[in-house]
Amino acid sequence: MDNMNLNKHISGQFNTELDAVRNNVLAMGGLVEQQLGDALTALHQQDQDLARKVVETDLQVNGMEVSIDEECTRIIAKRQPAASDLRLILMISKTVTDLERMGDVAERLVRMVLNNTSRPQPLLVSLESMGRQCIKMLHDALDAFARMDVEAAVQLYHDDDKIDQLYEGIIRQLMTYMMEDPRTIPQVMEVLWAARALERIGDRCQHISDYIIYCVKGKDVRHTKVSDPNAI
Amino acid sequence: MITVTPTGSTNDTLDLGNLAPERTALEVKELNLFYGNKQALFDINMKIPKGQVTAFIGPSGCGKSTLLRCINRMNDLVEICRIEGQICLHGQNIYDKSVDVAALRRRVGMVFQRPNPFPKSIYENVVYGLRLQGINDRRVLDEAVERSLRGAALWEEVKDRLHENAFGLSGGQQQRLVIARAIAIEPEVLLLDEPTSALDPISTLTIEELINELKSKYTVVIVTHNMQQAARVSDQTAFMYMGEMIEYADTNTIFTKPKMKKTEDYITGRYG
Repeated sequence: MDNMNLNKHISGQFNTELDAVRNNVLAMGGLVEQQLGDALTALHQQDQDLARKVVETDLQVNGMEVSIDEECTRIIAKRQPAASDLRLILMISKTVTDLERMGDVAERLVRMVLNNTSRPQPLLVSLESMGRQCIKMLHDALDAFARMDVEAAVQLYHDDDKIDQLYEGIIRQLMTYMMEDPRTIPQVMEVLWAARALERIGDRCQHISDYIIYCVKGKDVRHTKVSDPNAI
Repeated sequence: MITVTPTGSTNDTLDLGNLAPERTALEVKELNLFYGNKQALFDINMKIPKGQVTAFIGPSGCGKSTLLRCINRMNDLVEICRIEGQICLHGQNIYDKSVDVAALRRRVGMVFQRPNPFPKSIYENVVYGLRLQGINDRRVLDEAVERSLRGAALWEEVKDRLHENAFGLSGGQQQRLVIARAIAIEPEVLLLDEPTSALDPISTLTIEELINELKSKYTVVIVTHNMQQAARVSDQTAFMYMGEMIEYADTNTIFTKPKMKKTEDYITGRYG
């Protein structure tokens, strides 16, 4: 974050406010990361208690989205941020939306466990490896955010390719199941949905990369393919 | 394909470096200015486009008012002031020996920080410049008064008391009266030196609204300490620091992604 000179405002209060809102985003990100990890474990072990904990955490994540957005609105109204400060506030407001959606994914994953009380059964295909990859990507995205590191942000675009490959692998396996025995289709649909939701986490982490690049470089790279940090 | 045009700007992002001569109102070329031995402006080069609002921003003492005053040769009145370089108004160098300064100031009007109406009636304030030019035809003057006061968004408020003393007006009204006086002689360029710094927020907004309307007829150059004001009213913004032009670009760029670190630090309120 040093490259943003965040603490050099003449107004010390403004420094404090920006610092606080940025730390809140990191705290919220940490919560979502933990939520996803718990959701995967709950799914793997059919752990009802852990699943309920994930649902509770989601309420907390939702609350943080609202309060961080409120804080952003207040800063815009009070401080009229410009240039990099303005870009930081805008990117924070967008980042929390993406983080909140990732939290929703975790919550929906554990709903599969909670709705399955009568006949607990493991999933047809393990989502563990893809899920862990997603969590790692989120972790790296938050790390890049904390340091406002453009190179790390660009690296995330490559990480998403790995997730896409794992996703395709899962789809192929599920297709085989369906072709062999149509009676598995309801179960397959459930896993398919979960895999799809996880795959979207990779995309949302990419959004965070886009915002980091926008914040640091002032260039909107959404909907473009960026591979070289020096070209930005 | 639907494209979204940015709001608040009539600017089709002019290339300020390569502005076509017919779109250039003012061109400053290698301008250096000295007060005695002290240099106050360093090698200023810029083109100010016609029919638009250009704002100068920068900390106190950065030379923005000095540069503005060069445009109608107000610095001629300062004895120790020496100027090198050129300022061309529609292609003609205003520092050329053949230029009549009084005639220049009719083409380049100026409004100052504090409203400075004359101790006369509202009517006489507006027609002052015209009378100086020897115009005394009542019909011409009446028409000029209405046109100028309407142009300065003051007509509706004062039309029934044109012959009352101008000092009876509020600060915001006085400032608009001074603008009416400046546009009565139909200048090409209007220079505004912190026109709202002595006014309340509502009068300030009225003046800002007025500036936006004035640019359809005049080229407006404004010096302001209020950065949000520069962001609101101007099409181009020039950031000056210690007598140098650090960055000059369209206002959207300056306030969202300035290129120079000094500009960034200034507009975001950081230590230099």
